[in-house]
Amino acid sequence: MKKFFLSQIAIIALSLFIVSCGSDDNDPIPVDDDPGMIDATLTGQITNDMTLTSDEIWTLDGRVTVVDGATLTIEAGTIVKALPGQEANASVLIIARGGKIQANGTSSAPIIFTSSTDNIALGQTVGTNLTENDRGLWGGLIVLGRAKASLSGDATENQIEGIPASDTNGLYGGSNDADNSGSLNYVSIRHGGTLIGEGNEINGLTLGGVGAGTVISNIEVVGNVDDGIEWFGGSVNSSNLLVWAQGDDGLDIDEAYSGTISNSLVIAGDISDHSLEIDGPAGSLEGMFTIDGLTLIGNSVTENGEYADLRDGAMGTLRNVYATGFKSSADVELDNNEVSQNFLDGKIVFQNWVLNGDDNTAFVEKGGCIANCDDMDSNNDVFEDLIILSPTFSERAATWTTTGTTGGANTNVFSWTFASAKGAF
Amino acid sequence: MKNFIFLFISFLFFQVTFSQTSGLAGIINDGEFNDVLPFANIIVKDTQTGTTTDFDGKYSLDLEPGSYTIVYSFVGYQTKEITDVVIKNGEITNTDVTLNASAGQLDEVIITTTARQNTEAAVLSFQKNSVNLLDGLSIETIKKSGASDIASAVKNVPGVSIQGGKFVYVRGLGDRYTKSILNGVDVPGLDPDRNTLQLDIFPTQILENIIVIKAATADQPADFTGGVIDIVTKDIPTREEYSVSVGATYNSDFHFKNNYLVSEKSSTDFLGFDDGLRDNPLVSHQVVPLPQQNGEAASLITQRFEKNLAAQRESSFLNYNFSATAGNQYEIGEKKLGYLASVSYRNETTYYDEYIDGQIFRKDEADKSNFQLLADRTQNGEAGINNVLISALAGLTLKSEKSKYRFNVLHVQNGESQASIFRQSNFIISSNNIIKDNLIYTQRSITNALLNGKHTFGTESDWNVEWALSPTLARIEDKDFRVTPFRVSTDSETGEETYTIEPSESGVPSRFFRDLEEINLAGKLDIEKKHSLFSYDAKTKFGGGYTFKNRTFEVLKFSIPFLNFPSATLNGDPDQILDDENIYNPDTNSGFFIRQDSNDSDSYDSDISIASAYISEEFKITDWLNSIVGLRFEQFNLNYTGERQDGTAFNDTEIINTSDLFPSVNLIFDLNEDGDKKIRTSFARTTARPSFKEASLAEIFDPISSTTFIGNIDLQPTYINNFDLRFEKYGESGDFFALSGFYKSFKDPIELSFIRRAYGQYTPLNLGDASVFGGEIEVRKNLGFIGGLENLNFNVNLSIIESRQEYSEDEKEGRLDNLREGESLDDTRQLQGQSPYLINVGFNYEDNGWNGGIFYNSQGKTLQIVGAGDVADVFTLPFHNVKLNISKSLGEKKNSTISLKFDNLLDDDIESVYQSFGGQDQIYSKWNKGQDISLGYSIRF
Repeated sequence: MKKFFLSQIAIIALSLFIVSCGSDDNDPIPVDDDPGMIDATLTGQITNDMTLTSDEIWTLDGRVTVVDGATLTIEAGTIVKALPGQEANASVLIIARGGKIQANGTSSAPIIFTSSTDNIALGQTVGTNLTENDRGLWGGLIVLGRAKASLSGDATENQIEGIPASDTNGLYGGSNDADNSGSLNYVSIRHGGTLIGEGNEINGLTLGGVGAGTVISNIEVVGNVDDGIEWFGGSVNSSNLLVWAQGDDGLDIDEAYSGTISNSLVIAGDISDHSLEIDGPAGSLEGMFTIDGLTLIGNSVTENGEYADLRDGAMGTLRNVYATGFKSSADVELDNNEVSQNFLDGKIVFQNWVLNGDDNTAFVEKGGCIANCDDMDSNNDVFEDLIILSPTFSERAATWTTTGTTGGANTNVFSWTFASAKGAF
Repeated sequence: MKNFIFLFISFLFFQVTFSQTSGLAGIINDGEFNDVLPFANIIVKDTQTGTTTDFDGKYSLDLEPGSYTIVYSFVGYQTKEITDVVIKNGEITNTDVTLNASAGQLDEVIITTTARQNTEAAVLSFQKNSVNLLDGLSIETIKKSGASDIASAVKNVPGVSIQGGKFVYVRGLGDRYTKSILNGVDVPGLDPDRNTLQLDIFPTQILENIIVIKAATADQPADFTGGVIDIVTKDIPTREEYSVSVGATYNSDFHFKNNYLVSEKSSTDFLGFDDGLRDNPLVSHQVVPLPQQNGEAASLITQRFEKNLAAQRESSFLNYNFSATAGNQYEIGEKKLGYLASVSYRNETTYYDEYIDGQIFRKDEADKSNFQLLADRTQNGEAGINNVLISALAGLTLKSEKSKYRFNVLHVQNGESQASIFRQSNFIISSNNIIKDNLIYTQRSITNALLNGKHTFGTESDWNVEWALSPTLARIEDKDFRVTPFRVSTDSETGEETYTIEPSESGVPSRFFRDLEEINLAGKLDIEKKHSLFSYDAKTKFGGGYTFKNRTFEVLKFSIPFLNFPSATLNGDPDQILDDENIYNPDTNSGFFIRQDSNDSDSYDSDISIASAYISEEFKITDWLNSIVGLRFEQFNLNYTGERQDGTAFNDTEIINTSDLFPSVNLIFDLNEDGDKKIRTSFARTTARPSFKEASLAEIFDPISSTTFIGNIDLQPTYINNFDLRFEKYGESGDFFALSGFYKSFKDPIELSFIRRAYGQYTPLNLGDASVFGGEIEVRKNLGFIGGLENLNFNVNLSIIESRQEYSEDEKEGRLDNLREGESLDDTRQLQGQSPYLINVGFNYEDNGWNGGIFYNSQGKTLQIVGAGDVADVFTLPFHNVKLNISKSLGEKKNSTISLKFDNLLDDDIESVYQSFGGQDQIYSKWNKGQDISLGYSIRF
């Protein structure tokens, strides 16, 4: 009996040590991962002035940073293909504070940042194998400067989203609103974006504390997994911007960006969120942006494709806006009473909006949730009382809203883009 | 499962086949030193019957039932007579005795006492004679408190608290400052995020006792500050001994619920490991192409993965456990050979129907006069957890007259599977509603071997040599950790909900595999020489040790994004994502595919080596002052292999190399001749070193909390000066009183700090200096002084601790910038995880086989998470736990016991809240662990 007892213990002990291999069908799947011919590769830090010439295709490998004091010049017609990677591994080009980029393309020879999987060849402006729905194949372009941003707790600098704090080249913000980070003109950014965590993502073009000495014009962002273009404070003026089929918001404004965005076009895709996502200052510094001349093209497939969401103390002017093709449920929303108060105080101004197939009822005021927000049941939530009363926000919107089929941006300036070539508008 | 039932029945079946002779057994302790007394004499008074203690101070004697007077003696020691030792039929009476030296006295002194069989007294005696400031916990006390694992048992030691049911805090100092060792040697921790061992995986069945050492001596490792917890596993019994116990626990909140959550189970889950179901289906160097690169391969690779992503409903079962031990000792000529084997099995099921965790509340940044916190994220849901724990211990001991060899193997296997559904609402940083299915399986194992020898040399046995070699292998695998988020959009008119996967809002479904392996090789040698100094007995102790640790940590991350697929058609069902029809199809260029998201910087490989040498002298200058003075030397090396995110690599690079001296002084003042009133004072210098993960380049993103941990390769060790003072009084019948005070000053303490300029990222830093001081009181009292209450014992211990931590630059700025109107910033704050008070109160009744106890335990409001910028501090609120245990020993030989336990009688919630000046508290996390009712049966034969 004793033996039996011991043998039982032994059986259990043995069974603990035996871990079966389980499935035997995990043989390798053959993959031809030869990246093809690589002409020239960009990696690590660019500490001296450097020029990317248009006679070869450049490969962007990992996090490449143009550091303080260096200038990266990119010739018209240059193609940069970025290697795949997610999160920290994402291929991304950062222009750090004090660094400069001179990327001046032309309408016939734009500068193209795309994925290494894109079959676009030298001399072409469009490849054939990727569509606007091919997203997240690399990181994006990040330009950081020393202009003011309204930061949490009135800090003077901040770490840009998507770059971990261990890399101090990811800092932006300062006190020089005239700061100059160089020039981006006729630049197309395709199939990028990565999401690390909530509020921690790489957009197509990220502009952190970029000053008014910088030129940002004729920019296209296609098929980014997150926002198309996002401004974190700064004062740079931006013109002739096109965003198509972004995964999140088209144009995203934060931290009291105070420049003017003129003549821009946002075309929603099948999974796009808001066309405009506008937040206010995070610190006590206030700043008002101006959007002048904007066409928004909606999408009937996407679940959450709204015109615009103004939230978190947003302030600025939105004039000469034309929107078409949105679902009937789409709205322009003042997110809570803080934003509504800004509207009443004249810190949010709407002028000359033309909606195709919609009218002033698209403008809605919402109260923030103040009770029972934190349980599973959304039916018992209690909201703030609305503060824009008699006339209501929707009624007041009649003064700046008409129904029509023209207005907004001059889209002729976008004939050079991928979106134009693919017939997106 | 069948095997287990069979085994179980067989245990019950053969209980009747053994019988036992009656007799006396026990240990003789050396009152002079904290040691046993070998070769001491035991004689039944006025007879020739007797024996001597063996090498371990143990003895056993066969006696007919009856009442005896036993005489214990040893040359140079006072002789002790114990009257009324009762031997019952078929029973072994246990009597442990401490003999004190008769130095300077010519006449033989005979002390007469009555027998008391209580191993708790033995532990107290150990405590009394120890030169260290320590608290012990005997297995008897643990049994009385009803604790089933070490984590819940050790709470009864003054100043000890448990975080998250697993990690020990001594005197409020976190796991960084507490060291857990197994049989005196280092073993790896079982959590990649912690420095110390988690104690809930050690069942009390394998225990001999637990000793918590609070003040350092030179022979102890230098890297502890709060305390060293030494888990001492069972020693070989002096006689043939078998035991079996079974038990079950019912919790009305958790068990027999038909909406309990599970994920797909593997066939060996009930044994605490996965059979391969949750393995990564890809070979380690599989290239995972994007569909844009190679659609065919992307599709094939995706098909390999397990399709179950949804938490499923089933009915929950109750908790059950059983254990068995066997041991015996044989005489082989002059030598004794003993063996011990023990197995235990525990299966626990937990279900929370309302589990709130990870909520975020912020201070109003725009309006400093707004005292109320603003909700940024609310998160709540349901969670089902099944925990299987198996431990097996086997040991062999060979004793000769002058030597003892011990070989022990311990294996602990733990599998924890968790399935949960959480609903999250975001308000500030994002604005959306998300529902997530989380499936988690963590498999832990630890295998430890110990080869240990003790030898006595010299004509007067004045040389003692002890050595130990102990390799340990620990492995933790997070297997196929799956998170599937859907964004929930509610149609404002119809109220209809739509579920979509939106990479930029909800994130994409993700799954990851983490593998941590740690190997420890520890060896040590202690040499002791008894000699004479200032005409008193003295003892010189010297020795050294070497510990090598290697840890490899690897993370494999995958996500499941999609191309050209309307995710709303899934209707929010996670299991449809990897349905054959929905997997990426190259022909239509649509569907879900697996993408590899791993980063090299997530993984690392580190080595630590610690070489040590020490010398100490224990001596007396007068009768009433015992001193122990020592000096320890430790050389610490940390080598790192890993890659920074910018690609710079470290290849076995030396990161820390320190050589330090650690002096210690302990003085024990005897206030009377019996030595039952003492004052102890001690000073020691100790250190706290960064963990593998902290002193690294690792940048690890946690998808659950959405935070990123960034290692700090420049971290340096912390040095601590410790001062202790304690008054102790040992009385009759296990009565005990102690009053202690302590002060500790920290140079460059390491603390986890949020990086202010980067939301949700934190890193360990050497912060400004800190200090901790406090007091403890402990009373154990038999209530016999009140008529008729001889069988009732009362014990209480209370610790009050104050800590002061200076802020880092970032933290200070962040706090100043977010002060509310009228609020001012203190110069220091509490240490993270430090409780301002800890309290245990218990009553225990023992009579004629009945044993009952009621126990209360609580700790003060504790800083759990240090706030960052506009995110407020999170505090753990006190959890008031009242437990009631009743047990009855049955049978003529009292060798079987039935026990009944009730836990959480007050039905208190476990709750943490955000607190901000002038504002209402907001919940960070909250759940209710329900009320447990446990029934157990155990039998010895």
